[in-house]
This record gives sequence, C-alpha cells and structure tokens, in this order.
Amino acid sequence: MAEALRRVLNAGRAAGPGEDSNPGPPLLLLGAPRSAQTSLLFAAALEAAGEGRGPVLFLTRRPLQSLPLSTPAARDHWRLQIRFQYPSSIQELLQLLASAHEAPAPVPSLLLLDGLEEYLAEDPGTQDTAYLAALLLDTAAYFSHRLGASGNCGLVVALETQKEADGDVPHLALLQRYFPAQCRLQPDALGLGQHCCLRASLETGKLSPRTEWSVTFLPGGEMKITPWPAQASKLSPDQNCSSAGSQSLTLGCDNLPSPRFPLDGILTSGTGADSKT
Amino acid sequence: MPTRPHSSTSRGWPGTPRLSACAMTRDDVTPPRPAFGLPRAKSSQPTGREVVRRAMAVTLPEVVEELLSEIAAAVRDSARIPDELLLSLKFVFGSSAIQALDLVDRESVTLISSPSGRRVYQVLGSSGTTYTCLASCHYCSCPAFSFSVLRKSDSLLCKHLLAIYLSQLLRNCQQLSVSDKQLTDLLLMERTQEA
Repeated sequence: MAEALRRVLNAGRAAGPGEDSNPGPPLLLLGAPRSAQTSLLFAAALEAAGEGRGPVLFLTRRPLQSLPLSTPAARDHWRLQIRFQYPSSIQELLQLLASAHEAPAPVPSLLLLDGLEEYLAEDPGTQDTAYLAALLLDTAAYFSHRLGASGNCGLVVALETQKEADGDVPHLALLQRYFPAQCRLQPDALGLGQHCCLRASLETGKLSPRTEWSVTFLPGGEMKITPWPAQASKLSPDQNCSSAGSQSLTLGCDNLPSPRFPLDGILTSGTGADSKT
Repeated sequence: MPTRPHSSTSRGWPGTPRLSACAMTRDDVTPPRPAFGLPRAKSSQPTGREVVRRAMAVTLPEVVEELLSEIAAAVRDSARIPDELLLSLKFVFGSSAIQALDLVDRESVTLISSPSGRRVYQVLGSSGTTYTCLASCHYCSCPAFSFSVLRKSDSLLCKHLLAIYLSQLLRNCQQLSVSDKQLTDLLLMERTQEA
C-alpha cells in the first residue's frame, strides 16, 4: 500500500526486487493544507492504472478541480482504470465501504481516499473513527482476497493536518495505529527559487529507514521528483543513475498556492461524469 | 477454563484456496479435528504465528505472536493448553485472558461470511451483548476496546479479539453464512449501534 506511493516517488520503480505484488502496509499521507496531497494521490492512481496493475478506486468528497493533461500513461489508461466515487458524508463513505463486496465492478488493486479530514470534520467519536479506519483496512483486505494470487490491494489515505503541527488533528494517534506507514509532505524552504518545493518523507514502519524525496512543481504544472539531496549520495550507483532522470508528471496541482497553473479546470468536465455514486 | 477444543462445533466448509492477505482464513476454521492420536497433515495446520499474521493486518508484538505460536503447537500436540502457557497468557493479557478463554469455552465466537467471500466475526459477550469484530484488523465494537485499547493503550486486545485468536487456535469457531446484503447490513448496523 505504501508501495503505490513509493513507486511514484521512485519514478516508477518498486522498492526492491520481488515487491511488485506486495503493496506494503496501509499508508497515511500527511501534509498541511495545499501540500499537493491530491496531486501525489492522483499520481499514485495513474501509476497503478498505467502500469496495468488493475483498476483503481479513488474516493474523494468532491470531484477534482483539475486532471492531468498529457502524461502518456494518463492518456491511455486513467479514464478506463480509475473509478471515482464521491461519498459526501462519513455515513455514505461507511456505506460504500461496507457494501464493497456487493459491487459488481472489477476488483480494485489500489484503494485511495483523499481528504479524510473532511469526513473527520463531522466530529466522529473515537470508536467511529476507529471503525472507519478499520473498515478501510477491511475493504482493502477483502479486495486483496478477491484478487487472490494475482495481487494485493493497496490502501493510501490522504489526511490534511493543520499547519505543521499534528496536534490539531483529532484521533491522529488512533489513525496511526491502523496505518503503520506514513508519508509526510512539508514545504521546503530551500526549494528551487520561485517553484513550489516539498519534502516528502516516507516511513513504512517503526523499524524501517526513512526515505525522502524532493517534490517540485514547475510553472507548467509539471511535478518533478528527485531523491532528497542528503540521501542521493547514499544510493547505490545504479540507483543514482536511474533516479537522476527524475519522475516527471504533468498534473493540475489544485492544492498548491502558487505558481498558478494554466491547467486548472481544463479537464474538470470529465470528472463528474465518472462518478458511480 | 478450556483445556481441549470442541471439535464438534466446526460445521465444515467447502475447500477454498488459501487467502493471501485477508485475515483469518477459512482453513483455520474448516475441517473438524480428527480424533486424538490420528496423524494429521502438518502442512495443513497453520502455526500460531501464521494464524496471527494472516488474522490481523495490524501486527501484535513479537512476544504475543510467540506465545500464540506456542499455544498452537501445544494444542496440535496435546489438544490442550498447558498450564504454563495459560499463566503466560494471563501475564500478558491480565484478566482478559480468563474472560477470553471463558468465551472460547462457551463457543461464543462466530465467523459470519457471505458468498462474496467477505467475512466478519461476532462474539457473544458474557452480558449477552453481541460484538462485531472486523476480521482483517484489530477492531471490536465493545466499550473496552474503545477505552482500554484505543484511548488509554492499556491493553493490546480486548477479550473478544483475544477470544477470536484463541478460537482459531482451538478450532471451535462457529460459522454462519449470510447473503451479501445481510453482511452489508451487519457492517452498517455496527455503526448504528454505536450511534
């Protein structure tokens, strides 16, 4: 599950040999408002769909503001492989997850939820929050069961945290119990001049080393991902070589303050029509 | 205090392929136990650690996995849990251990499944209340889980979740088949009950 994001950050390469079918632990994508969570989540969806790993189920409270333009993978696969659903309340979200086994659609290989904080804003209690987290895991586990030997279903959930502190997030400690892997997105003051630069830190477990990347948004809306400088020197030569050609995805970055992208809204008309709810 | 499994409670289950990630697989609760003394195919018997790993996406501490693994081995060999392991169970889980064993003894754990293959556990509590436990991760609808496990982190598991683990090892899990729609209602009723 963490691997879906790691593939995006590693420019399409899995964490290591033999891990292709292992989606890793459920992952919580944490970041302050407008820290490109949606863009990364969508990149993970595109990556999974484009690689032919199977359909992706993308849950979000409202249609995305903009969609990718000309990424080859996007053009070929995203419309067919990414299914959007827009549960408008925590009740609808729970209904969708609880009835996932009744859906006739093909079984997803990746389950994504954007904007968990919007559902938590309905102020569910401890038990309701735990139930939502557990039901997300249970649904992904059920999808994995349906996929059988052909693969496991990954789970990535984006949660916006206020400012840089996590103290404002209700039930964060509880959620972390269910999501052992976390990726934090933090604004990077040392970014490339006027470009938006973020630092993505991925930890897949208490005992796993932290991996970091620099995520930069160029004026054209292109997302450029490179290993964090401090780590680049530690990579093996072949890793260094391949990651030098950084991941480039053209995404409408609706949740970054600046620079303003010409992409916003261009493909908005397509999103609502894909709703199955 | 249960010292031997209740082989008569397994009601059989059609052979199905082993599940990969989804928990508490059917083969853990399937075939009725053979009579004592008969050799059993070792490969078909999951170890305690396998049961634990398959059971819960949320992992248990190593020491608990080890303990459940030892219990599984003991049950395989002697069809009972030796006293020293019962003491270890009590040491790790406190009073929940006795209560969980009591629930297992009373055959209170039911695995509910639908034709879709989705499953959920229900545990009939000592007070007569039925609690729902998700099969793939640690979740129980009982107040103790919410308070002692989630809020205070005093306990690793509530007695109902521990009873599920133990009923897996002792193979006395009840089974119930429902329709896909009924399973959805069951999962949502859980939410209604909380509200």
